[in-house]
Amino acid sequence: MRPLLRTWATAWSKAAANRHGFWTGITLMTLNDVAWIVFWVLFFSRVGNVRGWDIDQIIALFAVLTTSAGFVLGMLRNARLIGPIITDGGLDAALSLPIPTLPYLLTRQVDSLFVGDMFFGVALFLLFGHPTPQRLAVFAFGVFSAVLIFTGFLVLVGSLSFFVGRNEAGDLGFQALLLFSSYPVDIFSGATKIFLYAVVPAGFVTSVPAKLVTEFDLGWAAATLAVGLGLAGAGALTFNRGLRRYTSGAVWTRA
Amino acid sequence: MSDLAPNSQGTVSAPRPRSEPRPRPTSAPASRRRNQSQAARTARRAATISARRLIASPSALVTVGAFYLMVSSVLAGLWSTAAEAQGGSIVGYSSAALVWYIVTSEGAINAVPLRLIETIGTDIGSGTIETEMLRPQSVVGLRIAGEIGSAVLRLGVCVVVGTGFALIVAGPPPVLGAALLALPALLLAVIANIVAHHAFAAGAFWLRDAKSAWFLYQKLVFVLGGMLLPLEVLPRPVELVAKALPFAAVSYAPARLASGHLEPEWLLVQIGWLAVLGVVATLLFRAGERRLIRGGS
Repeated sequence: MRPLLRTWATAWSKAAANRHGFWTGITLMTLNDVAWIVFWVLFFSRVGNVRGWDIDQIIALFAVLTTSAGFVLGMLRNARLIGPIITDGGLDAALSLPIPTLPYLLTRQVDSLFVGDMFFGVALFLLFGHPTPQRLAVFAFGVFSAVLIFTGFLVLVGSLSFFVGRNEAGDLGFQALLLFSSYPVDIFSGATKIFLYAVVPAGFVTSVPAKLVTEFDLGWAAATLAVGLGLAGAGALTFNRGLRRYTSGAVWTRA
Repeated sequence: MSDLAPNSQGTVSAPRPRSEPRPRPTSAPASRRRNQSQAARTARRAATISARRLIASPSALVTVGAFYLMVSSVLAGLWSTAAEAQGGSIVGYSSAALVWYIVTSEGAINAVPLRLIETIGTDIGSGTIETEMLRPQSVVGLRIAGEIGSAVLRLGVCVVVGTGFALIVAGPPPVLGAALLALPALLLAVIANIVAHHAFAAGAFWLRDAKSAWFLYQKLVFVLGGMLLPLEVLPRPVELVAKALPFAAVSYAPARLASGHLEPEWLLVQIGWLAVLGVVATLLFRAGERRLIRGGS
């Protein structure tokens, strides 16, 4: 655990070393998120309420999304790059180290752009999410589950590159998860809704946690955590299985 | 006509091969015309090469189509659900009109690589552009031509996928004539978008990075360009300002036509903005290239 924390701290120092770039990234992402909030405010000012979703619930959804996605894409930057690292033969540097490969890869890089997302999500909930001790606890639980789902899903689809040798499908899967998580799952119906819970688990990333913040339900909370743990396990298993097939690319720079 | 043409001395010269152009007295306008036609040929070639490169990678086209379908289905679902919740329409757009609006606005944007500004900025910052400056053609002209070549293909994919999706979900377009006008409007929107990307990315000549410009441009197109929402959703003063900005030409204009509003004047607005953006991009690139030459970096 200690070497991993050291790796993470080094990655953080590296990202923060370029102070101008670091704060520019955080500012840009904050502006980006504000634009989305403006969109939702405009939308609900015209519509009022859509299938039980109003602006308060959307703010909870967006806070969970930006905090969790910001943590995964910012603090665990390589989670999104697992596929390209594998296909470009860039695992070699990580394989030579005496620590587990996957945790090392995940903690190796920090992206300040998405760290801005993470800060924005927390600030959004604290300012506009009507925080009470109970709502804060459920919010933290929702973010934790969403981080597990995001990371597990990204590692899983990225690790498929070990077997198929390409990464387009993995990147598309990630884009799909991020996109569908940005909207309330109840705007969809029928087969699409089932798809968003069962195949691309976007419903569990944001919609369920946002609903839990408003009205806690133990069954849905347990299901969300189970999906997160299941995906994290599946991701790790697929990566380790794939690692046995990996052959060196003699590239030492990407990991 | 005989190939045995008298020369200036009144004697007869040897016959010239038919493929060889006859020498003409050179004047400044003629030489300019020749240069322009040469530049046009090179630009056409750049567009063709770029399109062929994309055809050679069908998986990239499939990815474009799949991503476009995902985004369109989500936003179309959101807006049509909202319209139904409001009794069938929002700001004068019916549920079906909103589906056609979204598939068109998304098609116009997805036909162009989303991070093009950032890529151009990286090329400027890393010095790739300096190699291109050695060519006898305009750097920005050649780049824009190349991007248009592949964007037209991507647009074709989006039009086929989007039309199929909208026909299934919302039925035929609300006004067929307006929908037909949306096709040239889409093409103009894509070209204007590419030119605007270059104008925004030119900031990298001074800042060495275009990430901020990319973020700014993207958000302006999302909201003020009407990509995510019809501009009529905005408060009235903001709507009027948004309609007067170039971002409306790259997304709102074709979407407005496809959603059943027979307003052909939008094509003229697009042509006007295309000209303005073209001049701005050219001037900024020229100034940036001069800066590189002076700085020698």
